[in-house]
Order: sequence, then structure tokens, then C-alpha cells
Amino acid sequence: MTDVLLQMQGINKNFPGVQALKEAHFEVRRGEVHALIGENGAGKSTMIKIVSGVYQPDSGDIQLDGRAVHFGNPREAHLAGIATIYQELGLYPELSVAENIFMGHAPMKKRLGLWTIDWEQMESGAEDLLAELNIHDLDVGAKVGTLNVGNRQRVEIAKALSLDAQILIMDEPTAALTESDVEQLFSIVRLLRERGVSIIYISHRLNEVFELADRVTVLRDGETIGTQQVSMTSEAELISMMVGRKIENLFPKQVAQIGDVVLEVRNLQRPPLTRDISFSVRAGEIVGLAGLVGSGRSETAQVIFGVLPAESGEIVINGAPVKINKPSEAVAQGIGYVPEDRGHQGLIREMTIRENTSMAVLETVSRHTFINRAQERSLANRSIQQLSIRATGPEQITNKLSGGNQQKVVVSKWLASEPSLLIMDEPTRGIDVGAKAEIHRLMSRLAAEEGLAILMISSELPEILAMSDRILVMREGRLVGEFSRDEATQETIAHAMMSEAARQAASAAP
Amino acid sequence: MPSAPRNPTVVEKLRRHLISQEGVLFMIMLVSVLFLATRTDKFLTVDNLLQQGRFMTEVGLIAIPMTYIIITGGIDLSVGSILGLTAIVLGWSWQELGFPLELAIVTGIASGTLAGFVNGLFIVRVGVPPLIMTLATLALFRGLAEGISKARSARGYPEWFFELGQGEFLGIPTQLWLLIVAVLVFGIVLARTQLGRALYAIGNNETGARFSGLTVNRYLLLIYTFSGFMSGVAGYIFVSRVSTTRSDMGTGIELDVIAAVVLGGTSIFGGTGSVAGTMIGVVLIQLLKNGLALSGVTSDATIVVIGSVLIFAILVNNFIQTRRGGD
Repeated sequence: MTDVLLQMQGINKNFPGVQALKEAHFEVRRGEVHALIGENGAGKSTMIKIVSGVYQPDSGDIQLDGRAVHFGNPREAHLAGIATIYQELGLYPELSVAENIFMGHAPMKKRLGLWTIDWEQMESGAEDLLAELNIHDLDVGAKVGTLNVGNRQRVEIAKALSLDAQILIMDEPTAALTESDVEQLFSIVRLLRERGVSIIYISHRLNEVFELADRVTVLRDGETIGTQQVSMTSEAELISMMVGRKIENLFPKQVAQIGDVVLEVRNLQRPPLTRDISFSVRAGEIVGLAGLVGSGRSETAQVIFGVLPAESGEIVINGAPVKINKPSEAVAQGIGYVPEDRGHQGLIREMTIRENTSMAVLETVSRHTFINRAQERSLANRSIQQLSIRATGPEQITNKLSGGNQQKVVVSKWLASEPSLLIMDEPTRGIDVGAKAEIHRLMSRLAAEEGLAILMISSELPEILAMSDRILVMREGRLVGEFSRDEATQETIAHAMMSEAARQAASAAP
Repeated sequence: MPSAPRNPTVVEKLRRHLISQEGVLFMIMLVSVLFLATRTDKFLTVDNLLQQGRFMTEVGLIAIPMTYIIITGGIDLSVGSILGLTAIVLGWSWQELGFPLELAIVTGIASGTLAGFVNGLFIVRVGVPPLIMTLATLALFRGLAEGISKARSARGYPEWFFELGQGEFLGIPTQLWLLIVAVLVFGIVLARTQLGRALYAIGNNETGARFSGLTVNRYLLLIYTFSGFMSGVAGYIFVSRVSTTRSDMGTGIELDVIAAVVLGGTSIFGGTGSVAGTMIGVVLIQLLKNGLALSGVTSDATIVVIGSVLIFAILVNNFIQTRRGGD
């Protein structure tokens, strides 16, 4: 055989109502970073779940190292040297780093005639594994729950290595990481590649694909569209492979008529992450709120929405001062909030599209507190049409939708409440290029045609720059800059986001 | 691909109902009844069944708010103690304080309601987990009842007082009418109103419900208070049925109630459940108890059988739901 480690051919997988994979194929060479990309619903997750033994294909061949294999469950895949690092990390927060790494295969020794865990060996083993990854600053006795996301991910990688993984699957590993954590992750990935570990890397961020991967395979609607050498392709080519069409304008911003002030906040105070915040948003205006993770953007949004009520300060809606101490009061004032954490805060995933879209407007779809299902259903149908949500119908459980479509359901919930101000916290995080453009188009249209005031929080500077009429920058809980659309550039915003110390460090560096 | 939703045919609808949680349970109930009927001819008689309806009303009434609470992912262990407290306050305020009996009844139920309100207040405002809070008040309310009663029982109620617990209306035990009305009303409330929708939303994802602007705290406070109220009403019926007031009334009833609710398909983790399912659970447990006793099975063995049926029903149901749950 050549250096092909994993070979999948003619893979079919059906779920009731959907063919998730159609004659898909995929191969991974020894010691390469192979990116797997595609829109949500393209079949990436199904593909890796088949590789990792969570699902079994309906038909198709899988060869590992030239031998046909069949994984009946995740454990068999594990034993064959395939480890997966999921988006939701599979660690035990109450246990130590070492215990997590050796979960299920702790080193044992006989003491007083009983097999017990050999704690010393476990800790030194954990230290060795971390050292192999160039990680020297992690206390193996620390509880995993006390670590930040980046460190937890490193623990997970060490855990995979403790099982001698030949193939490491990483599903959106950078989704929740800060910049510096991302850098560290990349260097670990490169280190592993040098050691001959193959990495299947799933990401929505094309720049990561170009930075890290050797080859890239694109899936669309369950089919393999093609595999490319990363050095031989371009971002534009990959996008057109992913969506099957050219996306003309990634950030379609319409010119809007800016109207009266809808929201004005004065000296909002809720330390540590909301300190003396004052700003306003006008009808038809999209105000971008930029800042690093932890700068207090979401917290400020939640102060306005009443999740974290303000300790002092004023909120003025359409000229009238109001008190907002809980979300229901914010909703009553015509504020909608599309939160950052879609699955936990935005949706009730176990419930249907119908039930989710009416969640904020139960009053209006009810008569004498009795919910009118027909009215609810027509509301849901309207949302499905207006936002082109890809679903089997209003009775579909939202959990079964792709990320982009879930986000559209959250947005439609708030549109149903006919808000005058919509706060959108990372509106396009983790959703695919096509759905992203649709959400941007929708935001533009809502502002321009319906005069909706939008406060958009985003960590993506291109999104902030392209969509905003005005840009606010937060740092350490304070508002530290305001830029008009014309004066804002990537540099000015990034500069304002960083602290003095970071700025000095950045300018001191060569 | 968006495909047009098909309207289910009658057969499909019937099948879906049959393999629903309630359908499975109903079938188990039918089988049990038929089996018990072959063991003794005293079981399947109108008189006996009506008598059982009388006995199960208290559990049934309390099981309604318990269903609501468990749907939100909570629990109320204090219902038995609230029942006892209500009974004692009723008897004591009539006999010792000299209240007119009508007022004593209202006072009793009001104290039960207040007890539930206290539960709710601590759960919502202080953030005490429902299990801990109601475990504490399980002891606290019982202690209060014993303190007030000083181990004396109240008896000698006038004849009209027994109408609810021992009387009949149109040939059916009076309290059973109350249960039937309550089941219909509160079953519809759960299935069709904003309150019901909010309870399911809270049970599935409390944060998501809050972030959608639902007044989560208000709903929770309401259902724990409702639980106190219904336990109070059950306390009144209990006293009326057994003609006397003792402080240990309702001891352990919380377990019967929770068993019935869970047997009826309400997930202990919250998010699913129905009043109809709960009522099938209540009826099934009561019929098994009675039928086995009439067949000459000892009470120890009866408990074993009921436990086994509970496990069996849950297994069968899990099996069917996972078979179906591929979608």
C-alpha cells in the first residue's frame, strides 16, 4: 500500500427523511492534516461519526492501513487508534487533569492484595504526555473544571495520545478559543503531524484550512465534491465548491435611512464587565460592538436585555426611560436578543420550530391564555418561508436542524415579536458561508426597509466592518472607542481593542 | 430538501396513539385488570371499582401539580406533610380555636397553599434546589403538624362534613367528581395554554425559556403554590373520608404520587409528560393494590408486584420509544 492510512469509499448513510451521505469517499494519508469542509448539513459530522464508530454506514468500504475494518461502536474505533475531539468537550470537570487523561485505562498496581490505581504513575504519565506536546504549564492535579477552554482542549488531546491515536479527528476545535489559544493549538497540531499522526480537521474558517492543512476535501449535500492540495487551491474555489454557486457578495450591506434614537443607555453600571457604558442606536442603524473575548460585550448586551440587570444607569427606549430587571421586561419594551450560545440560550432544542418561533409572542398567538395552534403554525410557516429555513415543516424538532437553520429559527422568534431593537450576539458564529450571507442580507434588509435598530456583537472584524454603520469598541468592561463606517479599518479597530500593555508588546515585537 | 408535510391517515394516527407512552400504559392496565378479574370475582365489580376511585382521589389530586412540577424538572417531596398539616390545622382551628367548620376548612386549605408558596419562594428567590427544599419542608411541615396537634386527634365532625369523603353524587363517590373535573381542567391547561407551554419550555431548557422572555420565576412559584393548594384539598378530603384528624396523615403519599407520575410517562428530567398519563399511572397502581389484595396476595408481596410492574412498564416503553426514536 501507499501511505494512505484511512480509505473510505462508496459510503452511504440514510436517516429517516434524509440521505446524509451518498456514495461519499474520503482518504487520509499518514501524517497529514486533512481538512474536511462543507456547509452545515453537508455530511461532515456524519462522516466523522462513521470514522469514529458512532454511526455505522448503510453501505461502503472503510480500510484502515490497507485492511477492511468495521466499527460497531466508538470503543472499537478507539482501540484501532482513532480518537475524536468533539466541539462539546468530553471531559469530567470534577476530576483532575491526570484522571481525565487516563480515564478508562488508569495505570494499576497491586496494594494489600487489591488492584488499585497507581496515582504516582498516573501523574508522571500525564506530565510526560503533556511534555510531549510542549505543554509545561499545566498542573496535572488541577480539576479540569477550573481550566479555560484552551487548556481543556489540550487535556483532551493528551488523552487521545495516551491511547496511541494514529488518527485524530478535531471538530471545530477553534470555535471557542481565544487568539493565543488558537496559536498554541496550531503548534500542537503541527507537532503531531511531524510525529506521523494524521489529523482530520473540520472547520468553518477557511483561513485555518490554508494555514494548517495539507489537503482539503469538500462535501456538499452528502457527496464528496473533491479533494485538493491546499497549496493548489484558493478560498474562492473552495467556497464555490462548498455552496455549488458563487456567492457574489459576502456582506451585502444596503444603504439605510437612519432615523430617531431607539435605544439610549447612559452610564450603565454592572462591574466588572459593564462600567459606565453610554451609547445609542438609531432606527435603521446597525451598530457593531467589537472587542476581545471577555471585554464585556455580551455582558453589556445582557444588562440591556435584563438577564444581568444594571446596578445603576439609565436605559431609554424611544425617548422614555425604562426599568429592565428581567428579560420579560426587555421583551415588553420591544427588545429582542439573539444570544451567543444558540443551543443553550437561544433555542429550546427539544421543541419544534413552531414552539420556538412563538416562544416570545405566546400572548399574541393566544386567546384568553389558550394557544391557537393554527395561528402558531402559520407563524412558523411564514418564518420558514421568509428566512428560507431548511426543514421538513413547522413540527420539526429544532435539534435536527443544521446550525445555520437553528440560528434562523432564533432570529425568526425575535422577528415575530416585532422588536424595535434587535441585539445580535455573534449572529453568524459557527454557521456556514451560505447561511451566513443569508443572515447578513436579512440584517441589512431589516435595517434598511423596516427601520429596525440592530446592535451587533461580533468577534469577526470583517463582519463588523462590512455590516456596521457605526462601530463601538469595548475593552475591560468599558467603551473605549467609537468609529463611523468611513473611518473604521481593521487596524484602527484592532488597535482600540487591545490593552495598553498588549499594544506596547505588539509594537515592540519585530 | 423541504418536503410538504403529509397529513397522517386515521390508521397512522391510531398507531401513533397506541405506541405512545399513554397507549402502552393503558394496554398494561387492561392486561392487569383482565388478569386480576380471573383471580377473584370480587375485583371487577362496579361497587369495588367505585370504592377504589374513592381511595385514589387524594393521590390523584396531588399527582396533577406533581406532574406540572416534574415537567419543569423539579420535585415536591413535601406534599404528604402538607396534607397532614392541612388536616391538623382544619381540626385544630375548629376544635381548639372554635372556628365555624366552614372557616376551618378554608383555613386548613389556605395553610396548605401557604406551605406550597413557601416552598416556591425559597426555590425561586433563594435558589434552593427543589429536592433539598421540599425534603427540608417534608420534615418541617410534619413537625409543625405534630406540634399543633400535640398528638391529639380531632373527631366528632357533623354529618354534612362527611359528604365529600364518604358520600355519593349520581351514584359516584363525591370526591371522584372533583378528581374528574380537576383532571379535565388541568389536563387541558397543561396541553393548551401558555402556562403549559412555559412548563415544558422550562423543563427542556430553563435558560432558553428565560432568554425568550418567559416569566420563569412566576410560573415556578405558581406551580409550587398550586401543589400546596391541591395537597390541602386532598387533606380535607382525607379527613372527611376517615372521619378523624391525625398528624401522621399522608405520610409517604409523596412516593405513591411520584411513582404514578413517573409511571405515567413524565420524565424525571423534565420536559415531557401529561396529566392523562399520570392518571393512568394512578389508576393502575390503585387497581393493582386492590386486585392483588382481593386475590389473597399479602401486602408485602403486593408491593413487590407493583415495583416490578413499574420497572416493566418503563422497560417496555423505553424499548418502544427507542425503536421509534430513530427519527
